[in-house]
Amino acid sequence: MVTKMDEQAKFEILKELLLPDDNGVIEDISKRIQLLEVIVNDQKLLAKKVNPLVDDKLKAFAKNIPNTLGPTITATLKKEIKLHKDEVVDALYPVLGKMVKKYVAQEIKMLSEKIDNQLSFIKTWKRKFRSIFGGPSEEQQILREISTAKIEQVLLIERDTGILKAGYSVTNTIDEEMISGMLTAIKGFVEDAFHQKNQNLELIQYELYNIHLQSFVTHFVAVVISGDYHLKSKNKLQDIIFNFYYNFMAMNLDLVFNSNDLEKEGNEVRTIEKELLEKELAASFNNAKI
Amino acid sequence: MQKSKKVVILGHFGVGKTSLIRRFVTDQFSDTYKVTIGVHITKKMVNLTSEDTISLILWDLEGTDTLEQIRDAYLLGTHGVVFVFDVSRPSTFQDVRTDLKIIARKVPERPLLVVGNKTDLVAEEILAQQLKAHDIPYDYLTSAKTGNTVEDVFIDLANLLHNND
Repeated sequence: MVTKMDEQAKFEILKELLLPDDNGVIEDISKRIQLLEVIVNDQKLLAKKVNPLVDDKLKAFAKNIPNTLGPTITATLKKEIKLHKDEVVDALYPVLGKMVKKYVAQEIKMLSEKIDNQLSFIKTWKRKFRSIFGGPSEEQQILREISTAKIEQVLLIERDTGILKAGYSVTNTIDEEMISGMLTAIKGFVEDAFHQKNQNLELIQYELYNIHLQSFVTHFVAVVISGDYHLKSKNKLQDIIFNFYYNFMAMNLDLVFNSNDLEKEGNEVRTIEKELLEKELAASFNNAKI
Repeated sequence: MQKSKKVVILGHFGVGKTSLIRRFVTDQFSDTYKVTIGVHITKKMVNLTSEDTISLILWDLEGTDTLEQIRDAYLLGTHGVVFVFDVSRPSTFQDVRTDLKIIARKVPERPLLVVGNKTDLVAEEILAQQLKAHDIPYDYLTSAKTGNTVEDVFIDLANLLHNND
């Protein structure tokens, strides 16, 4: 007769035979669960595991937007723009306006000059007819037309006070300091009257003369030009002005550093000699071809 | 050494700002009244010492009903101010303290001279009484017509500007 104890012993033997690593498996599972718990509870670790999956899904979603949401977005935008055209333009203008405006103005000027050149053929015949019907001779007319722009006077002016820092003049005019003051007043008036912040009066025209005004932060340069002043001349003139102003500011900076040293020694602060500046002006603008 | 200084001449309509400048710069006077539009600029060199000269760039600003109306662009970088009133027209000086406050705000910390012009039109005693009655602070009483003390105003200001450097 088999005892109860034997049955129990047999069951244990059988269990050991059938499930030899039971304890080890349970331990393994427990360890894995613990590791998963750590990962789930730690945001960084979880992100490391999940992010690549989410990224892939998002990439796939973004890639499919043109097909899935594209038609809806386009239709909505079209409808909104159609309904609120003014508002859309108004919202975009401040951002693009300044940039586009300058570009367009420049392009239109270039185009206008190109058209002028194209029309030169017509001009030639016009000259011939004018000459035949008692006007000035063709040579005189050509000379008049090809008269290039010539620099007559240059003034370096302090922007706020209107005080003349240096002047260069081919011909004698009225007092340069008074001209500087008046130009500053006109410039100030125009810029103030039209409430155009960050925009500067650039050109004053009177008959055969043009006054080009190039503004900088602390000073502006006024150049009086006679003859045919067009975009090409303007570009050349601006290069000359920029070069001169670069030198002028370099001199200013030199002086600032030297003045600091002088001040330490108890000497007076120097200013750039007007004569030196006028020499610089003459060197930069005299015989300059624009 | 020569320096240039910007001086603005302020005041109400027809107080004689332009005449004052004309008398100082060219020593001339005209009875014909011409309104200044915008601004007119003239220049006068003043010898302070045998070595120092100052070039006064005089900005003659158009007269306005109130000094608030003056364009700020004209006042930028001002070194000194002359405020002119007409001693024969109380309306041009009875609010002088308010006007001076406006100037102090628009052109802060700059030498300022207050000038009562057209003294040739008012008897000395009456003028003294009026100025006292209205408690008018002034630095000079001038007549652009006779030239009385006109030069003193600008020489005084030139010295103030020179010392202010």
